[in-house]
Amino acid sequence: MILRTLILAGALFLTSASAWAAPLSVDLTAAPSNPVSPQMGDNLSFHTVIRNDGSIPVDGLIAWISLVQIDKGKEQPVDLEDWSAHKAVTAASLAPGKTLETDWPMRLIQSGTYRVVVSAVSRSGDNLTASPFADFTVRQKPVVESQRVLPVAIGIPFLLGGMMLWRRRKA
Amino acid sequence: MTATGLIARKEAGDLLLSLRGLGWLLTMAVVLSVFGLLLVGNTELSLLDNAQVVYDMGGIVTALGALLAVVVGTDAVAGERERGTLVSLLLTPASRNSILLGKLGGQAIAWAVMYAIALPYFWAVGSTGQNLVDGAVSVALLGTPVVLGFGFLAMGLGARLDSARSSLLPGLIVLLLSASPLLLGPSLRQSAIGRAFDAVNPFSGALNAYDAVIIDSQSIAAQVPHFAVTFVWLALTLWFAARGFSRVSR
Repeated sequence: MILRTLILAGALFLTSASAWAAPLSVDLTAAPSNPVSPQMGDNLSFHTVIRNDGSIPVDGLIAWISLVQIDKGKEQPVDLEDWSAHKAVTAASLAPGKTLETDWPMRLIQSGTYRVVVSAVSRSGDNLTASPFADFTVRQKPVVESQRVLPVAIGIPFLLGGMMLWRRRKA
Repeated sequence: MTATGLIARKEAGDLLLSLRGLGWLLTMAVVLSVFGLLLVGNTELSLLDNAQVVYDMGGIVTALGALLAVVVGTDAVAGERERGTLVSLLLTPASRNSILLGKLGGQAIAWAVMYAIALPYFWAVGSTGQNLVDGAVSVALLGTPVVLGFGFLAMGLGARLDSARSSLLPGLIVLLLSASPLLLGPSLRQSAIGRAFDAVNPFSGALNAYDAVIIDSQSIAAQVPHFAVTFVWLALTLWFAARGFSRVSR
């Protein structure tokens, strides 16, 4: 009798625990169209598949994207304000076995090495579910090209200065 | 050649061939060069689009053009009076209107030369080419009435006030006030006074059109309200210059 009670209690506990822990999985992949060696100003896109691997619906699902810079000495979270307008996705409910697929477009603002991760939580879950990392490096792109500016910035004043000297000699 | 053409050619020759005029153009070119070199060395620009740099260059060129127009406009009337050459010009058979039109033509040529000098700078800083041609065209179309208006204002002031110095100062003050959006940026529009000032200020009209064309990729034809502000300014200053010049007696 005692043994039967213990087995029943254990079964109830396990059922309850599986209901509280959100049985989510988040898969993150870079879009095939992403440039191999992106530079500032390029656009990247990441694709996530959030799956409910449990047996009960997941209610109040929220997933969001995070970006951190991982360059040595510059480790910091990145404010996505300029990078992306698509920062989070929500779902009222995700049925068992169902998936929520999302594309996360991103515009590259600053050079450096970055790590992107998508996290998901649900209303009833007590754990954060995070995707695998996706790393990428953004190459520097000078906004103003010095090899174009320097000849003009030096050449035109020299030209006008030369005209002044010529006029002075002629006068 | 008509009297108007002769005077316009003489005014343009003063700018292009005299040491004084070449000195003014050299100063303008040096300012644009320093601005371009500052852009190259500015690492914070990495957060900006190249279009923003082209827009900044458009604003600087318009401001420098207006400054040159104030100096040339002051020199055209008040300067001539101080050098004692205005009376002899007024005594020629040429009518007042011909003389005025000739001097206005000189203003237009001065701006055209300034704009021609600025074009290589546009090309130099517009490395991605985004709306570069449209930007240069919008500076030509909207910057021209703004710049010439300041030249006409300076001529009108020169005709009314006693000396070149006393007419140069109010011209520069009006220019400084009008060009303040270049320094203050969009923050100017956050108050009712700022928005009202923005709506009537020709310099704001030109800058807002540059913003729309260069940064927001709008068409130049869609900038009708901005065109209206700048051309009303041109008409008012032309009237101011004509009225003042008709009263010049010495």
